[in-house]
Amino acid sequence: MVAVRLDAMLREFAARREVDAEATNVGELLDELERRYPRLRFRLRDELGQLRPFVKVFLNGAEVDRRGALSASLASADTVDILHSIQGG
Amino acid sequence: MAKKGTVRVYVGTRKGAYVASSDTARRRWQVAGPFFDGKDVFHLSPDPRQDGVVYAAANSSWWGPMVFRSSDHGRRWSEVAPPMMVVSKKRPPPSSFDEASKRPIVNLWHLEPGPENEPKSVYLGVDPASLFRSDDNGKSWEGIPGLNEHETRPRWNPGAGGMCLHTIIFDPSRPSRRYVGISAAGMFKSEDGGAHYRPANRGVRVSFQPEHYPEFGQCVHKVVLDPARPETAYRQDHDGIYVSRDAMESWQRVGRPLSTDFGFVVAAPKAMPGHAFFVPLEGGPRFARHQLQVYEWREKERSWRATVKGRPWPGELGVHREGLAADALDPAGLYLGTTTGQLLFTRDGARTWGQVPYNFPGIHSVSVASPPE
Repeated sequence: MVAVRLDAMLREFAARREVDAEATNVGELLDELERRYPRLRFRLRDELGQLRPFVKVFLNGAEVDRRGALSASLASADTVDILHSIQGG
Repeated sequence: MAKKGTVRVYVGTRKGAYVASSDTARRRWQVAGPFFDGKDVFHLSPDPRQDGVVYAAANSSWWGPMVFRSSDHGRRWSEVAPPMMVVSKKRPPPSSFDEASKRPIVNLWHLEPGPENEPKSVYLGVDPASLFRSDDNGKSWEGIPGLNEHETRPRWNPGAGGMCLHTIIFDPSRPSRRYVGISAAGMFKSEDGGAHYRPANRGVRVSFQPEHYPEFGQCVHKVVLDPARPETAYRQDHDGIYVSRDAMESWQRVGRPLSTDFGFVVAAPKAMPGHAFFVPLEGGPRFARHQLQVYEWREKERSWRATVKGRPWPGELGVHREGLAADALDPAGLYLGTTTGQLLFTRDGARTWGQVPYNFPGIHSVSVASPPE
């Protein structure tokens, strides 16, 4: 079971900020989150399945290289943080 | 005698959307919002075929594009489905579309209720330049291959705002005739209900490439039809102000008498056939220096009138391409949103101008729903 913490700004799309989920990689984890919270669909990944530019994934506190983020392996007891970059004005 | 009813001005801004409401006298305004906090709302579109229905095109650099729908004049909103650049197709896209199909949708630009013979359709223009149609209140969107897979597409280029499809026009006198505008690909015209499109830019100059009068590639900014003679169209292009009197088969530049005829907006009020309104800007900084002016093109006289008297708004004001809209009342109302958040308006056919007393975020778009005549 992977522990997932969602960025506060994702409250708009997901009812809970901390959830547990079964997944063997980040892509599967996002699939599961989108299944539970349909409004997350297309918000973290675009319609081509790629992470949106300002979405960041951290695995056990370390940022996952976005080029391979979706295939990054997960193990039981891992913690995944999904955050967004600060930008704008 | 004034008509009864409510005039609603839907304002899309850099930080959400607003609804400014007034009775038909249009003297006092109430402002509701913001809706869609923090999102860039490029356009809102009231659907005159369904009382109270409004669509909104919102964009977020974090979370991507979103479409919202209201059925109560904009008081409450629900997210509907976004369009997708790659949709399930029975056949593979042609090679000319391959490159574009690898890019996701960047921004939603313009929503337009369909023509009279399509009572349920809504159209949506996006960046990268593509046209989508929904027939189920936005629950799903289907691309329009006659435009999206156009043979000239590999040679389309983006303008400063991206490669956006920002203008969607249906000829009210001929349901099969329709137009779209793309920056910087120009206007495209269909005579068969959107199955096929062809460029409609003859006579429009392009200053930024070696061939100055190409078939397509113009950086069109906004086009509207004359409310009484739909074969007449008014065009604000990157390279000037143009009028077509033959259903966009050819264009004549009419803006040269102005000190600049660069700009982004044009509107033609229903109550004023033969009159179109433009807001010229300086092409470099893209603002009106010292004092914004709204010019009225009078088609019958083929002459211009400056409608803003004195210097009521000293400073440098800018306007985005969706920033000017007209209501359907007589005398006509015009609503002009600036990039610094002023909502200016006239309720007497541009004899006098005022300002809605509210400081909005920078305004992207203005749309109006008013009681029908």
